[in-house]
Amino acid sequence: MTPTTAHLLYLIFALGGVGIYLLLPKAGRSQALAGAVIGVISVAGLLTVLAARVILPDATTVYFYLFATIAVLAAARVITHPKPVYCALYFVLVVIAVAALLVLQRAEFLAVALVMIYAGAILVTYLFVIMLAYQGGSPVYDRRSREPLLAVLAGFVLMAAVAGRAEDLPQPASPPTVAVPTADAQDAASQLHDSNTGAIGAAVMTKYVVALEIAGVLLLVAMVGAIAMSRKKVPVERFAAPVRPIGQVGREVEPY
Amino acid sequence: MVEFLTSQLGVSIILALVVIGVMLGSVAYCIFFERKIAGWVQDRFGPNRVGYRGILQSIADGGKLLLKEDVIPGHVDTPLFILAPAIIFLVAFVGFAAIPWGGQLQLGENLVDIQVAKPDIGLLYILGVASIGVYGVVLGGWSSNNKYSFYGGIRAAAQMLSYEIPLGLCILVVVLTMGTLRLESITLQQTEYWGGILPMWNVILHPLAFLVFLITALAESNRMPFDLPEAEQELVGGYHTEYSGLKFGMFLLAEYAHMITASGFIAVLFLGGWHFPWIAWTQPEATAWYAVIAKMLVLAGKITFFIFLMMWLRWTLPRLRFDQLLRLAWKGLIPITLGLFTLAVILVYVGRQQSLPWALLGNAVVLAIVLAAAGLSQVEVTGRQANLPSIRPGPVSTGTART
Repeated sequence: MTPTTAHLLYLIFALGGVGIYLLLPKAGRSQALAGAVIGVISVAGLLTVLAARVILPDATTVYFYLFATIAVLAAARVITHPKPVYCALYFVLVVIAVAALLVLQRAEFLAVALVMIYAGAILVTYLFVIMLAYQGGSPVYDRRSREPLLAVLAGFVLMAAVAGRAEDLPQPASPPTVAVPTADAQDAASQLHDSNTGAIGAAVMTKYVVALEIAGVLLLVAMVGAIAMSRKKVPVERFAAPVRPIGQVGREVEPY
Repeated sequence: MVEFLTSQLGVSIILALVVIGVMLGSVAYCIFFERKIAGWVQDRFGPNRVGYRGILQSIADGGKLLLKEDVIPGHVDTPLFILAPAIIFLVAFVGFAAIPWGGQLQLGENLVDIQVAKPDIGLLYILGVASIGVYGVVLGGWSSNNKYSFYGGIRAAAQMLSYEIPLGLCILVVVLTMGTLRLESITLQQTEYWGGILPMWNVILHPLAFLVFLITALAESNRMPFDLPEAEQELVGGYHTEYSGLKFGMFLLAEYAHMITASGFIAVLFLGGWHFPWIAWTQPEATAWYAVIAKMLVLAGKITFFIFLMMWLRWTLPRLRFDQLLRLAWKGLIPITLGLFTLAVILVYVGRQQSLPWALLGNAVVLAIVLAAAGLSQVEVTGRQANLPSIRPGPVSTGTART
């Protein structure tokens, strides 16, 4: 039986899992070097399998491999770096690399929205909190991963579930028959490229308008909740009205 | 070769190189003008020793920064300490790519755009790049491992996150009016006229949004009166206290590059970019080389005006206190821009050609509501609570000499 792509991917993911496990910060002697070597081998293997069996390389897929490699390596550093600030910064790098992948897919709006919202707002807030929390170096319980083995196993299962659906491309014995797009299709494609944002807007406001409204309500609820949680508790007496006899209201005393 | 140079790609590459070169030069001279304007405001000469009337001062300053020792203190987080000025410098210059400098140029049979890149999301591109810029300041403050620097970084993060919201809402007002995110077509739509006379510049349609945008752009580029992150009286220079030599120079240059980007952005969004009304050379139909140069000069003039305005403000206004700064954003600018946003939605139904009287009426209504709310509120402008004794200065007594 020749190994299918899925089998190869299982093997690579298992290797990567070992690498990540060794890289995760733990007590005792650091095994990071061995972990890094194994991890790099597994990433190289992944790229080889992808290039040879799943995604045929051409001129533009070079960029796919470039940004995908950056994203994967930076993502590994997000969970393995011992300093929380660096973890957040590697997360920023992952976001930017994924935004580049989205640009390759001609989803420019999504790419910029990802950078603006994740890198520009959410991760700055993360960084803000981390910097405030770790003024004098991070405590020991934040420099060690808690359940490295279980985490790696769970990650392996998730990745393997994806890999199980990987299918081999038919090996090109003859030159691959790429359907030449008709003039109409080319027009449609270039139009989509030109008014990417408009197409997304139209879809959101027509097909997915219910989801949009629900998201809006959810955000409102979250905002109200945040305000409710951040309010200080003020003793009631400070706001209590001065005691006054009922009969006097409207005569000597101003009504409420 | 000639074919490549007259194609859009060739023109874009040449333009990118020219823009970077010109920007580095003009950023250096911004510092000179800043000092000259400071001298003008404070009734003194300003730099006048190096060259004719001090015109070589920038070159001398640059040489000084280059030759100074570049100290990396022992207590800093070295990788991030080096990364921070690089990020802030990169981000300040990448934003220029999407600004339409001069309409279209007829080169042989090609009609090329004088713009480095024209993505579908030009406006969002500049916003996205600018939103990365906060990392430079925050990391510079944190990696310095210095309390004052750290306060500067924290302030910068809070300030830039807060002011991004009214900034984004102002941009949404423009986007709703124009119906596009492309900067070149935003410029193009502003070259039309009302009644054949009045140019359709957004500043006429949305004067309040223009003002709010100006304020938030000042805050986003950390300029006075919003330069809390580097308030030297409190924080000894804030996030760049520990920097010296060329790294400090990069922070300085990036600040001025930010000013140029912000000014260019204001000019394109609200003042018609390269368009100047009633002059044939700056209309979109003119595509000869002299017309392109005229358009570039018009845009450069608008940018220069806004840079001058920012410098003038810097030497005129005192700095805000930090709680006042945040209150201005959250309780002042965001409600106003939400009102303006609602107005813009209504104007979309009216249509741009007919909307001038409605827009002015709506702006007047928003202004009246703002003034009424400010007048009726019991909170003092300084932010002191109503139940505390006032800190307003009493009447000044003069003429009584101490005996």
